[in-house]
This record gives sequence, structure tokens and C-alpha cells, in this order.
Amino acid sequence: MILDRFRLDGRVAVVTGAGRGLGRAMALALAAAGADVVAAARTASQLEETAAAVQALGRRCLTVPTDVTRPDQVDRLVRTALAELGRIDVLVNNAGGGTAGMGKPIQEITDEEWRLGIDTNLSSVFYCCRAVVPHMQERRRGKIINVASGYGLRGGRHNYMYAAAKAAVVNITRSLALTLAGDNIQVTCIAPGFFPHSEQAGQRIRGGAYIPVGRPGRDEEIGPLAVYLASDASDHLTGETIVLDGGGLAGGVTPTGWAPRVALEG
Amino acid sequence: MATGLDLTGRVALVVGAGNAVGRAVAVALAEAGADVAAATVTPTTEQEFAANSVANEVWAVGRRNLALPLDVTDPESVRAGVERVAAELGRLDILVNNVDLPYYQPFTEIPREALSRVLAVNLEGVFLVTQEAGRRMLEAGWGRVINLVPLAGERGVVHGTAYGAAKAGVLNLTRSLALEWARRGVTVNAVGLGWTTGLPGPTDHPDRRAELERYLPARRLAEPGDFAGAVVYLASEAAAFMTGQVLNVEGGALSHV
Repeated sequence: MILDRFRLDGRVAVVTGAGRGLGRAMALALAAAGADVVAAARTASQLEETAAAVQALGRRCLTVPTDVTRPDQVDRLVRTALAELGRIDVLVNNAGGGTAGMGKPIQEITDEEWRLGIDTNLSSVFYCCRAVVPHMQERRRGKIINVASGYGLRGGRHNYMYAAAKAAVVNITRSLALTLAGDNIQVTCIAPGFFPHSEQAGQRIRGGAYIPVGRPGRDEEIGPLAVYLASDASDHLTGETIVLDGGGLAGGVTPTGWAPRVALEG
Repeated sequence: MATGLDLTGRVALVVGAGNAVGRAVAVALAEAGADVAAATVTPTTEQEFAANSVANEVWAVGRRNLALPLDVTDPESVRAGVERVAAELGRLDILVNNVDLPYYQPFTEIPREALSRVLAVNLEGVFLVTQEAGRRMLEAGWGRVINLVPLAGERGVVHGTAYGAAKAGVLNLTRSLALEWARRGVTVNAVGLGWTTGLPGPTDHPDRRAELERYLPARRLAEPGDFAGAVVYLASEAAAFMTGQVLNVEGGALSHV
């Protein structure tokens, strides 16, 4: 049955940034599909809320408070996950977001703000992949799901660290996918559009007037895509970035609702 | 010229020379040194008049010129037209396909006949002219095909289904043909046209134009002359290693989310 191929029973998924927003939504969706979850984020209290929701679905949830900009903490996260749950089938690199300096004119951004933005959104992905890939290679199976952004595919005004790092996430996805294709490890990327709780700093909530479907995304709408990319149903899909944005990037060259009528001539 | 941009001795055929963009491009090619044939897309009185006027402007720049009534949907007209350019101007080095029949309507209201016409002009027209002109370029071992493609071929635009499908078709024709001719001295590229003033079509309406101006990063529409530099560059020896590319000239429209 086709739907069985979406099941994640017995799998273990590590989700970073799992304390809230899209990360929590993906953790819950993966759990609902059968996976046990290792939830990582900086804030322990938020992780506990995620854990309670995962456990309410009947799955195990290990919480590991982690700052993903710190390679030692990332290594500890992976060691702890393997020690406690024995395997990692899925890595969701979701942690990231706006950082200090976002929205400032470029000449006002400090070196420290630049490094923090890049560390938070790009280096974190690198650290997590570096820590997990040997384990996945050894088992000859694995799914890595990176989370970029529409700003990884297009620019934004006064958007430097975030947009540059997210674009790099799109491309590290490709390089990892090529490198690991022979190891039966699929590496994909989700580029969410506007999800008001997703902490994409610098964005104003505009009620969806600029989104073709007329509304922002809801956190739980990213879950099914994460389940698909984590499951056997997507085993031939690798290196790709999948945009989930209510139609925004399909257009983007006219205002929303701009609908000319031009008759044939000649 | 040291930069390789000089087009002296080249002959260019600009199909759709009569509209504002075609006129600007034809004159720019002439200023860069090329002789220019100014062709219509459809041989209507209005288009023939415009093509004549562009040919006169080319003459005023001091280049040889030809006003060519062409019907891009008629293979015999295309064959005879390309032959006439070669006969009267001696050769054919550069083809600019500014073939444009704008059409925007709600999807379910588009009759089969309109779809056929939109595809026949915007896509098949480019195909036929390029096939005919390209044969001569292959024989000569040097050539430039430059397709002008509006943003509706790159991204979705409401009511632009038939038109955008045709234009997107031209973009991938550009890439495939570039590969096919990559070792034969003929490059095939496109210039992506931002929303432009002075053209018939969706921007030919003050309210819609004002909305676009507020929306675009540059806060203005393109002027027809904004594309001339890209076309002259791609037509020149300076761009010999560039093929299969789309040079988007759109004031930043494709950069933002």
C-alpha cells in the first residue's frame, strides 16, 4: 500500500530548532508517522512542551538542549541520540532564524553580527551534517532534510546574513546529495515561504495580501512534506529544494491580484 | 574595437523591429556598426509602416538597411524573407527575435483558436525564423541568435497562461539550440525583458502601469532602450563564449521574493 511507504515506524529523527514553530510542527508530524524524536533547541522549557506533545502521540522523545552554533554541543547531541536511541535515520536541520543585525543597513552590521547570522543559519547545518553523516554512511541509509527559506532563493532588502546563509544551505544540500548518493543517503531541502511563527526576523506580518493563495502558511502545513522527505516514499529524490510558499515564487514579477486582460491583435 | 563590441560588417535581422523595443534594438545594432533588416512579425499595414520607419532610422545612422514585410507563421514568407536579407545585404550574421503577440485572458475563457494563434506567432514563429536564418549561420560558421523574452516566460503572471507557455517555450528552445550548435560558431541566447513602457500589452494601461511601478525594485518600468546594451553585447565577438543563457534586464524584478 502506497501510504505504508510514508510510515516512519521504528525510525529515529533528530530535529533541531524543535522547541517551537516549524521545528516543533515537523517533530510532531514525524512522530505521528511513527518516528521517535530527538528534539534539540536552546530553550529547555520549550523542548519539554514539544516532548510532551510527541509523547502524547505514543512516541519516545529525547530532549537535548543544544546550541547548534557550537560544534561541541552538536557532537554531544549526536552522541546522546545514538547512546539513548541507538540510531539516527532522519536529521532535520531546522534551527536558524533572524539574528542581531538583521534589517540593518550593510555598513552598520558588525563583524560579530555577520558571524552570528552565518553561524546560526549555515555553520549549524554543516556541524550537524558532519556529526551525523558517518553514522548514516555506516548504516548505508539516511535522510537529511535542511530548512532554507524563500530568501535562500531570492534576495530581500537589508537581508544579508540570513539570505546568504540560506542560499548556501540550498547549495550545500546539492553537494551533500551528490556526495552521499552512493551511500543511500538522500539530502533535500525545504524552502518555506511566510510562516508568521517561523521567526523569520525582518518580515512584517502582512496578512497574506502579497501571497498568491491569500494567506500565510500554518506551521502544521510543513509536517506532511517533512514526513514525505523522511520516508521511503522519497527514496529517489535527492539534492532538491522544495518550495512551500502558497505560490509566491511561482510569480513574483507582478503585484498579487494583478490580472490584466489583453485581447489578440492582428 | 579592443572590447570586441564593434559590429561593423555584420548584418542583423530584427524580427518585430516595429515596436518600441525592436526599434531601439535595431538602431543600437546599427550604431554599433551593423547593417540591419527591419522585419514585421505579421505584414499588417501598421507594422510595415513601422518597419519602414525603423529602416529609415538605420539609414540615418549611416548603415545599409532593409524594411522586410514578414509573416513569421508562414514558412514560405520566412524562407523568402531570409533569402532577401542575404541577397540584398550580402549575408546574415545576427538574428534578433523580438516576436511578440501579447495575450492575457482568464484560462477557461481562452478559445482554441486564440491558443493556436498565440503559440503560432510567439513560439512557432521564433522556431521557423531561427531555423531558416540559422542554416545560413551554420554555413558561415558564425552566428548569433538573440531571443527577446518577457518576464511572463520566466515566471507566472495571472491570465498569462497561453502567452507565458509560448514564451517559456522560447527560453528552453534557446537552451537546447545553444547546446546543439555550441561547436558550430553560432551562439543562442535570450534577453529577459522586464516590464516595459511603450509596448502594447498589459503595461499599456495607466493604472496597471502605476501598480507595477510601485511594486518593482527599481520603482520604474524599463525603457525600450534599456535592452539595447544586452543585445549589442550578445551580438558581438565579445560574447563568443556565452551561449544558452538568459540575460535578464528587469531592474531587479527577479531578485526579490
